[in-house]
Amino acid sequence: MSSQLPMLLFLVPFFAGVSMPILAARRPSICQPLTIGAVAVMVVLAIVNLRVVLNGGPIEYAIGGWAAPLGIAWLDDTIAATVVLTISAVALLSLIFGRVVVPARLERSISYHTLILLLIGGLVGLIFAADLFNVFVFLEVAALTGYALVGAQGGKASVFAFRYLLLGSFGATLYLLGVAHLYAATGTLNMADLATRLPQIVTSTAVAGGLIYIFLGLSIKMALVPLHSWLPDAYENAPEAVAPLLASTVTKVALVAWVRIEYSLIVPGLEVGHVPVLVLLEELGVIAALIGGALALIQTDLKRMFAYGGVSHIGLILIGVSLGNPTGFVGGMFYLINDAVMQAALFMIAGALVHYHGARSLDDLRDLGPRSPWLTGALIVVAVGMVGLPPTGGFFGKWNIILGALEAGHLVAAFTVVASTLLTLGYFVRIFACWFNRSAGAEAQPQPVAGSLRVSLGAISVSMIALGLMSDSIVRFLLESLAGGGV
Amino acid sequence: MVELLQTLWQRPNFVVFVILFLWGFYIMAAHPNFVKKLIGLYIVQTSAIFFLVAFSAKDGAAVPIIISEGVVDAAAYANPLPHVLTVTAIVVQVATLGVSLALVSSIYRKYRSLDEDEVMEQLE
Repeated sequence: MSSQLPMLLFLVPFFAGVSMPILAARRPSICQPLTIGAVAVMVVLAIVNLRVVLNGGPIEYAIGGWAAPLGIAWLDDTIAATVVLTISAVALLSLIFGRVVVPARLERSISYHTLILLLIGGLVGLIFAADLFNVFVFLEVAALTGYALVGAQGGKASVFAFRYLLLGSFGATLYLLGVAHLYAATGTLNMADLATRLPQIVTSTAVAGGLIYIFLGLSIKMALVPLHSWLPDAYENAPEAVAPLLASTVTKVALVAWVRIEYSLIVPGLEVGHVPVLVLLEELGVIAALIGGALALIQTDLKRMFAYGGVSHIGLILIGVSLGNPTGFVGGMFYLINDAVMQAALFMIAGALVHYHGARSLDDLRDLGPRSPWLTGALIVVAVGMVGLPPTGGFFGKWNIILGALEAGHLVAAFTVVASTLLTLGYFVRIFACWFNRSAGAEAQPQPVAGSLRVSLGAISVSMIALGLMSDSIVRFLLESLAGGGV
Repeated sequence: MVELLQTLWQRPNFVVFVILFLWGFYIMAAHPNFVKKLIGLYIVQTSAIFFLVAFSAKDGAAVPIIISEGVVDAAAYANPLPHVLTVTAIVVQVATLGVSLALVSSIYRKYRSLDEDEVMEQLE
């Protein structure tokens, strides 16, 4: 039974999504409870899955009983199990938050909830997939539902959803081309099988070209600078109810897909045409972290600021996983988990501000009346996490990335982590300067916020601190999984 | 230069792939009309599919349905896997087209225009 857990984790949201039109046809009011229920079941399964994987080692799932490399393989190892748990927990909190801000038209819309569940299912498949083509299929499932969700409100959002679609589909096509190159060169699509066949021919033009195509395709999906231009527009205009879910999961899971490919195919010290590949990736991460942070600093719109903050963190994670040593790698993966949680919290706060106060920009914040202490509290916790101060998880992620950078002797990378911390501090100082501006109506009672909002903001703030407190054990079991040759 | 031309001459399939890819990309990037951008995207996706089919083509190969038992001569059969990938990629392409046409029609209903410049003007 427990060996079926990865498939169950995928099937729960997928089945709930596909059967939604039948179940909810006559009673559209059950859409929302059904969606939240399905994701809650996923969270439970993900916890069980993580325990099983930690105690019993990675589960290799052969779909339909066809063993790899002939069949399609899924690999449920420590990293996949941890990321799936993160994704489902963040999705659950985002959906609870979504109950507050969702417009009435979408609240009872069957297709909207089906899209959310299919998106989550696609992300789960993408995390587990250990087969290059399977990654492509789930990448597209997640991306297509993502485009539709961004444009769900119509009007202005559909223009930006369309742009997102053009870029995203182009990225997917590049990825497919890369897969075709690697298949033509090696005759296999299974990642473990590729890892044994590639080292002999890794310097051939076809393999190098294929890897470059794959990286370009995925870096559009993960919004790596300079291919990030779709992200701020898309997430600024996405419905408030799904923006936390989209912002926290889609780019990170694309990055997880790349990490798997990178970890199994690119050995440390590999050079193609005198270019050390991992160092090149690390430098791309450096550029993304610095430019993303600088762009966030000059934004005046809150959502855009947070979106650019996410772009810069993608760079940080890429630095961590490309350092070529376990410390940096684990730091990067741990930071990825934290970043998913923090992005969700940021977009929840921004969405709640739009919903309750109609505030979108820093100037709006300055003239804002009294606001709920829940919002202030969550904003303070998430700011501490984003800047990276203990006891939040953000600190321990950055700390391990810096340790890894020093271990590898890459001072530029270590410097970048510190610099991006300062940039993050810069834009949070700007936000707080407006937030605590006490000129307007400070004496009045704050408007009470809905219970769901309190639950989601409270839970997500607690989980940010909990991740920091548990960072020691999380980092340890991630390190152990690396020692066992996992990923 | 002569060598390059010779190499290209021997690989007409790949020349066609490159032309299709760049052509589609140019249309995507340069045309202000949303539907024409879509057509460009479609051409780019088709070029990737063409690439998959082109490298898997085999002269005189049979359909890969193996009836006889015993040792099988792999060279006598076409490789089914790239074709399976192609079919899946086409399904993805169709789904992308569906979503994108829905978005374009929603844009048109709101702004009464398919021209990117005009729509962006209205947005500002």
